[in-house]
Amino acid sequence: MNRFRFLLGGAWTFRRRLTWLGLFFASAVVLVWSARGIGLSFSELLRGLPWIWDLVSRMLPPNWAFSERLVKPVIETVQIALWGTLLSVLLALPLCFLGARNLSPSLALFHVIRQVFNALRGINEIIFALIFVAAVGLGPFAGVLALSIHGGGMLGKFFAEAVEEIDAGPVEALRATGTRPSLVVVFAVLPQVIPSWIASTLYRFEVNLRAATILGMIGAGGIGFELVSSLKLFQYQDTATCVLVILIMVMTADYLSSRLRARILAP
Amino acid sequence: MIEIRGLTKTYGDIAALRGIDLRVSVGELCVVLGPSGAGKSTLLRCVNRLTEPTSGEILVAGQSPPRNRAELRELRRHIGMIFQDHNIVPRLSVLKNVLTGRLATMPPIAAALQVFPRADIDIALFALRRVDLAERANDRADRLSGGQQQRVGIARALAQRPQVILADEPVASLDPKTARVVLDDLRRAAHELGIAVLCNLHQVEYALEFADRIVGICDGRVVFEGTPAQLDEAALSRIYPGLDAEIARAPASARRAQERVI
Repeated sequence: MNRFRFLLGGAWTFRRRLTWLGLFFASAVVLVWSARGIGLSFSELLRGLPWIWDLVSRMLPPNWAFSERLVKPVIETVQIALWGTLLSVLLALPLCFLGARNLSPSLALFHVIRQVFNALRGINEIIFALIFVAAVGLGPFAGVLALSIHGGGMLGKFFAEAVEEIDAGPVEALRATGTRPSLVVVFAVLPQVIPSWIASTLYRFEVNLRAATILGMIGAGGIGFELVSSLKLFQYQDTATCVLVILIMVMTADYLSSRLRARILAP
Repeated sequence: MIEIRGLTKTYGDIAALRGIDLRVSVGELCVVLGPSGAGKSTLLRCVNRLTEPTSGEILVAGQSPPRNRAELRELRRHIGMIFQDHNIVPRLSVLKNVLTGRLATMPPIAAALQVFPRADIDIALFALRRVDLAERANDRADRLSGGQQQRVGIARALAQRPQVILADEPVASLDPKTARVVLDDLRRAAHELGIAVLCNLHQVEYALEFADRIVGICDGRVVFEGTPAQLDEAALSRIYPGLDAEIARAPASARRAQERVI
């Protein structure tokens, strides 16, 4: 970063103008190259507009009667998100202490655990879901496992970072009383990290709920299955109902969870 | 009682302590004076081995030096420590903070589930009464003022029923009135409960007012040892080389005024 600091402030020297010009042309080249790669074309978009309009008009009005059939999938989606979140918390809890620089018994272990978190985080839920569908078969359980593994890596990282941010003073004070390490964690570390842990878990639930809405597309349970089926059967009015129900569900969860998080994190 | 013989501590090439001999008797408040960086903190932290000494002998309450972690915890159980920034847990109640002083002797699983033996709660409440905070027992610790939080720290140390208390600059971040209350708590703990208290201070006037005995440290060596009455200007200039003794002896407020002029 330091090498580029000269770009942010100070006088407009010749060298600085040249650097900006170079950066500008480099970005332009990359963007044009990428646009060709993906077939980005405004004329295609313009030509497609009538078809898009046709699809939208066939989605309207949404078929509200279809929402009756969505009650069970919606409940299943929430259930997948709940258990996916709970299992990822259980996965992250024991590992986060080993993956926190200030509490890990060894620096090597700290790096190993962090890389495990990164690996789990780095692979998308859908990829895990495809693997688990192959392993345990179609159905919501594969989705739950996928969310647990991916979320475990995510929460492990968040939990470990919260542990690293604690005030070391109380930890030292409790060690000085002769308290055993496990109780030092319970009385000096946990009270400092729990608000942040709960907030991360709630946020993870929001993310899991959004992810759970598409797991059904690959047969891993939830409302996504209904959405894809209605598309395949050209029942676009049913599709519209699915989209709206998903929207309502996700927005409600986001609203509730962000209110809760704000209250928990308030000092 | 604390007995220190020939204690040295070096960090790489830097010698923090160069052979300290020191004795603190039962029921005595012994104040360590010295400039910043003289090794006062290191000395205290060697006593409960938050810092591992390089060489020398430290006897606390007749216990032999610890050979493993269990013995180290056993040693620390008898040593209370009070920190400059109190180091209490902000989100726990006052009572729970004081109870953490008893964790070393509690059944661990019950304690982890927040189930505390009645006897330990009584000891904690007794310690809170000694620092006048019994009625705040159920308040969250971060609702208290800085001085009150420091006194919770003292109650936590008292709850250990220690034979020794180490106090590392306990009043450095407190106003003069609160500082006197805290130092009075410490002196009464020494005199009434028979605890050997070793206390670092950087204000000479507090040492003169509260100490039973003063030990002056400069550059890792003991350069003065005696009663407050024996702390004359020659002694002060040995503890604080290059400092005008009159300024060192003056109250902090006057000293600050002087410093501003200089």
